[in-house]
Amino acid sequence: MELYELNLWMLMEGLKAGKFSASEIFTSCKKRIDQCEESIHALITRTDDTPQSAKDGSLSGIPTIIKDNLCTKGIRTTAASRILGNWRPPYDATAWARLRDAGCVLMGKANMDEFAMGNTCGNSAFGPTRNPNDTSLVPGGSSGGSAAAVSAGYVPFSLGSDTGGSIRQPASYCGVYGLKPTYGMVSRYGLISYGSSLDQIGPFARTVRDLQIVMSVISGHDKMDSSSFRDKPHDFTHNENVSIKGKKIAVVKEFQGFTLDAPIAEAMDRVKKVLADEGAIITEVSLPVVSKYAVACYYALAMSEAHTNLERYDGVRLGYTVKDARGIKEMFERVRSYGFGAEVKARIIAGTCLTEPTRCEEYYVAATKVRTLIAQEFARAFGETDYILQPVTPSMPGKVGEKDDDAMKGYEADLYTLPVNLAGLPGLSFFTGYAGSLPVGLQLIGRRWSDSELLDAGIILERHLGSPRIANGGDVV
Amino acid sequence: MNLTSEEVNDIALESRLLLTEEELAGAVRYINSFLDALQCFKELDLKDVEPFSFAEAIECPLREDKVIPFHDTDMIIHESEHVDGSYFRVPRIMEE
Repeated sequence: MELYELNLWMLMEGLKAGKFSASEIFTSCKKRIDQCEESIHALITRTDDTPQSAKDGSLSGIPTIIKDNLCTKGIRTTAASRILGNWRPPYDATAWARLRDAGCVLMGKANMDEFAMGNTCGNSAFGPTRNPNDTSLVPGGSSGGSAAAVSAGYVPFSLGSDTGGSIRQPASYCGVYGLKPTYGMVSRYGLISYGSSLDQIGPFARTVRDLQIVMSVISGHDKMDSSSFRDKPHDFTHNENVSIKGKKIAVVKEFQGFTLDAPIAEAMDRVKKVLADEGAIITEVSLPVVSKYAVACYYALAMSEAHTNLERYDGVRLGYTVKDARGIKEMFERVRSYGFGAEVKARIIAGTCLTEPTRCEEYYVAATKVRTLIAQEFARAFGETDYILQPVTPSMPGKVGEKDDDAMKGYEADLYTLPVNLAGLPGLSFFTGYAGSLPVGLQLIGRRWSDSELLDAGIILERHLGSPRIANGGDVV
Repeated sequence: MNLTSEEVNDIALESRLLLTEEELAGAVRYINSFLDALQCFKELDLKDVEPFSFAEAIECPLREDKVIPFHDTDMIIHESEHVDGSYFRVPRIMEE
């Protein structure tokens, strides 16, 4: 077995026992990236960190990759957009700074949909990432590069961000575990904003135990992020002797009539049985507002927030600019028109439209009120159940380059993930097995701040369902 | 209520975006389809519902009004592509 095939906790134990060195891990992972990157294109930038420059800490010498919307001091950070040009941030995102201080070695910055807007990893100014299980298919998005990198064995874990499913959906498509933590659990400082009230940073890994290790490093209050909470539980200590006996696990009544691809429907049945066999009580909750209004609510808010967050890209302060414009208006227009991709432009225009004084009450304010109803509905549901089990997506991954002419139809595929962001809940995307060569994932959702219990439940699921294998990495060259 | 090409183009210009004819046609379809989808809000009685601000109460993050020295100015200058000596060089934004 090659070292790149080992999971995070195995690498940590091996290093501690002196079975191999950090340099050997680094060499193995680097070789794996060299083998697969041409086929998968998971990275925007390869970095030149080495184990020799790593700090001493709990993750000393462990290679990692982070999504390219996380700021890295002195290292190009693009958010997969032309508009940031070769911008090198003068500071680190807190989540990355905590990993760096724990001794991680940065192998690269992962590809993504531009400004995290998309669910295929195809909306990138640097070209699409491909699914390491089948390179004709998308890896999901927006954190597709981070998920693909872990799936293909580039690194044992990576970081992504999740605004409406951007960790959970690619985790499911690529066959790894992905956690979208409770909003406020992980500092967003240094995360390039898309929808600030929805964005959250979280990890990808090939075992749940590895997610626990990463969360123990990156979670907790940060004075640089006023939305990160003090005094909240973030003990992610691994314990094999966890039980789900007597816990209630609900499916959503209103989702039961919706069509799912056969492997996903089959996985739902199988996982319900596994949980029932473990002593959990399978039940049902009703989320009528979520099922009918969450998609419209989410996109109204996300686009409105995106429009304000992306106003800062004006060609003056950051990245790409033009020098021969006649006047400031022309400069703004030329910089933004060239710098942003089609999906980003569409969302900016939509956000501008929804927040104009004549339409604001009808659309934006209404959406904030619908969000209140959605949060209340989840709060009531979590009075009746401990977890909610549901698909991550209704369908298996599509082909690279395929586009739906009706954008709203594509957005509806996010119904199972985006309500979690609207209510600020934690959601775990977990591996359930393979349908042919493709992995199938499902999602377990918990109440706010139940992230560690959610991962404990994930440990039980992994014990019964098995861990994912390393993807073949496409046509390895 | 569908928006016309002219209205969508005006909104794009407000966002400082110049659209090609093809982009504008796409944007008109996109915005109108999106606004149609948002009509569903009208089915709900939202009169007495408070707008969502945060999932739970959060303390107003006031900090002591204290200067914290910053010493890494050389690094910031070094990392920028738009530098003239020890200054940032930015495009002219004041017009004559």
